[in-house]
Amino acid sequence: MNTHTAARVQRPDAKDVADLVTLLTADYGERALTSRSIRDQHSHGEGLADAGLPDVVVFPHTNEEVAAIVRLCHAARVPVIAFGVGTSLEGHVAALYGGVCIDLSQMNRVLEVNAEDLDCRVQAGVLREQLNAELKGTGLFFPIDPGANATIGGMAATRASGTNAVRYGTMRENVLGLTIVTPDGRLIRTGGRSRKSSAGYDLTRLYVGAEGTLGVITEIQLRLYGVPEAISAGICQFESLEGAVQTVILAMQHGIPVARIELLDDVQMEACIRYSKLEGLAAKPTLLFEFHGSEAGVAEQVAQMQAITEEFGGSAFEWATKPEDRSRLWKARHNAYYAAKAMQPGKQVFATDACVPISRLADCVLETKADADATGLCAPIVGHVGDGNFHLCVLFDPDAAGERERAEGLARRISLRAIAMGGTCTGEHGVGVHKLDALVAEHGEAVDLMRTIKRALDPLNIMNPGKTVPL
Amino acid sequence: MLDPAVHAQLASVLPDSALLTSAEETKPYECDGLTMYRELPAAVALPEDEAQLVDVLKQCHASNVPVVARGAGTSLSGGAVPHKDGVVVAMAKFRNILSIDPVACTAVVQPGVRNLAISSAAAPYGFYYAPDPSSQIACTIGGNVAENAGGVHCLKYGLTVHNVRRVRAVLISGEVVEFGGDALDSAGYDLLALIHGSEGLLAVTTEITVKLTPKPQTAQVALAAFADVGAAGAAVAAVIGAGIVPAGLEMMDRSATRAVEEFVHAGYPQDAAAVLLVEADGTPEEVAAEMAEITRVLGAAGATGIRVSKDERERLLLWSGRKAAFPAIGRLTPDYYCIDGTIPRRALSHVLGQIEALTHQYKLRCANVFHAGDGNLHPLIMYDANVEAERVGAEAFGAEILELCIDVGGTITGEHGVGIEKLPQMCVQFREAELECFLAVKSAFDPKSLLNPGKGVPTLSRCAEFGKMHVHHGALPHPELPRF
Repeated sequence: MNTHTAARVQRPDAKDVADLVTLLTADYGERALTSRSIRDQHSHGEGLADAGLPDVVVFPHTNEEVAAIVRLCHAARVPVIAFGVGTSLEGHVAALYGGVCIDLSQMNRVLEVNAEDLDCRVQAGVLREQLNAELKGTGLFFPIDPGANATIGGMAATRASGTNAVRYGTMRENVLGLTIVTPDGRLIRTGGRSRKSSAGYDLTRLYVGAEGTLGVITEIQLRLYGVPEAISAGICQFESLEGAVQTVILAMQHGIPVARIELLDDVQMEACIRYSKLEGLAAKPTLLFEFHGSEAGVAEQVAQMQAITEEFGGSAFEWATKPEDRSRLWKARHNAYYAAKAMQPGKQVFATDACVPISRLADCVLETKADADATGLCAPIVGHVGDGNFHLCVLFDPDAAGERERAEGLARRISLRAIAMGGTCTGEHGVGVHKLDALVAEHGEAVDLMRTIKRALDPLNIMNPGKTVPL
Repeated sequence: MLDPAVHAQLASVLPDSALLTSAEETKPYECDGLTMYRELPAAVALPEDEAQLVDVLKQCHASNVPVVARGAGTSLSGGAVPHKDGVVVAMAKFRNILSIDPVACTAVVQPGVRNLAISSAAAPYGFYYAPDPSSQIACTIGGNVAENAGGVHCLKYGLTVHNVRRVRAVLISGEVVEFGGDALDSAGYDLLALIHGSEGLLAVTTEITVKLTPKPQTAQVALAAFADVGAAGAAVAAVIGAGIVPAGLEMMDRSATRAVEEFVHAGYPQDAAAVLLVEADGTPEEVAAEMAEITRVLGAAGATGIRVSKDERERLLLWSGRKAAFPAIGRLTPDYYCIDGTIPRRALSHVLGQIEALTHQYKLRCANVFHAGDGNLHPLIMYDANVEAERVGAEAFGAEILELCIDVGGTITGEHGVGIEKLPQMCVQFREAELECFLAVKSAFDPKSLLNPGKGVPTLSRCAEFGKMHVHHGALPHPELPRF
């Protein structure tokens, strides 16, 4: 538990909570649950378990229901924790001080798709794979793809990113507007249908990445893209990690509009080969590429890219042009976290999330690799690298003496190394409870402002307390 | 008049030449590009470095003196108009490009650097700075951040907020803070985005790290003529709907093209009701493929004539008409009033039809020039400021256009900001709870409300005065809420 916040928040009075639970079960019947198993299921994401059971889990269906629930919590001064499908990695959904978990998974409708304007509006509980399935046939797609099949609401709240951020940006660039329930239970709309607006402060981007600490996101207006005319995916293997990283740096400098560049180190490659039964590939540092565009454009991008990989000792490209081959390849990448976990069954795992300027990428990856090797832990590297972001899945045995400390020490050094190189401790997973100290190291004085904003917008500190900003 | 004690404090932290107080000296600062609003400040401070700026802000903060930061004064919404009892902090001396990093594709610049100067400095490395507001020869990057400026190329390359990595700024308290970072992402609340478009209400920037974009190898523009404005609007939707993201997608109606043709002789068709300019950029192969698709879509959408630039000279000639649109209109009328509403693209032809109807109602001419790809309209209402009825009519006409934009789900300002000009429409676009969020953000940065007061975000009581808050088209938003 983080020392910054523990002292600042108090558990609400037990009687207030009990009264609130009674009210909620009266209003929502079977959509307000208090069983131990449901509460337990809603106490953690996919990262390390954090102590913190909510007192009740409510499943609203409408914006107005969310607002009504928050109004009750506001009146009773009870914490509110919004929940999507629980795939976050930094303890975002742990109910550190108890409270009401608002599970938005039943608000799962795509409300409108405007093909002409290349946008859509969805409820917060829509899953990213569901959205793309519903967009099939429109010629449009939504590109942001974190490893997990997360909800759009959760992705907005954590400012998620994915394998093709290098081309399409992160949630920051792709959320056009939001419907928010404020901490006092009022509905507001930010941004909107138009592509640009300079009216008022950019509340949309303030709430994107606020991790539920300023309000509950209930609807999201998203930017969509035309499915490219041609898509081509290739694999290139390298003798050295450095060669792979230098390839990425040069490609970015040349402005090659690659849609995806993923780096997997030898250890991660071994894990993926085993877990996803990939054939014909060696456990060597590897880059996965995907190119989007017109036929001519893709051919040209590929030629430019191959010239660079050859320079750094890359193998000939293996190609996956058929959609099913491509999905197998990316499925393997998306399962990297689970593949890493399967390397040493029974061990616990957490993912680091450093992101550095592209000019420092080689330094950061290579120093981190050496650091990880020195710990003796299994910590494969995988990353989007085109945007400077990479992850280590650090495996450790919580019962083995000193392993947890070694793992946490490695994670801390990775965060600080990235920050020292002008980067960030989190490219896409967010701060949650685990990176509050790193946030202070990264932003210094600006954290005071974040704190002041939190207090100004949520004076009672009921929205996901104990996360994102140390109070 | 500046309080003598405050004057003495400011004089003690600034060089003699950097504090102006006489009317002759402060006159050049009385307005910005929207000249209908003018005010002389009590003083103008021209700090030379961050330390002096910190001292000026600290003194003003301690003495409760309003501060208005100013770049080149090209803004179009009155955002840089001085406060009569306040100090204008002119950032003209922050004019150095501190570094260019061709590996990281970034440049670190001071806020008083002109937009175009960044591209010029980056050119030897094969880079440029993508956002290109029409005023890019004059406007400063600090002002671009404050207004979240766009431009012709922002459809493909994004607004200022998409092209800035890090901002160093001073709060009114004198505290120096940094937002964002050198990497693409940054932890915690997105304060970097909050600063963009905050119109000088939150902080004064002192250093900006911008992203540089590799210069495209080549570019080509198509000029397409249409027999009616609705067809041109539909063609815009067809281009975007075909999955093309042009480097620029601009539209001008007949009033605009005629004015331009007389001025720069770019060869625009004079009989067309509207023209589109559609640009493709990239490698020669990409441009050829995209331009073929663009001309196909434009033809299918009913273009009566399409001219594609054959070389760079012709491309620049075709663009010269668009870039010169504002001065060209300026030759036709003593004054014009530029509106900045933004609408969903599919409402384009509806809104243009309504604007046409309004020209008859107000008996004022209006030329339409706009970033069609973004749905960002710039109707230019022509009037004579010396004729009271025309001046009043132009303001009312403009206000109606903005409310029309809100009606179709758009916004009152795409890139020029709210400033003083659009405060009443803010009360129409946003509900009370939304305005309260804005005010909470403001109070977190500037609890005494000393930075650029009276701009950007209206207070709730101001909205009540405007009478805009209570009824919008007969529907009371959130009738359950208590009203003031």
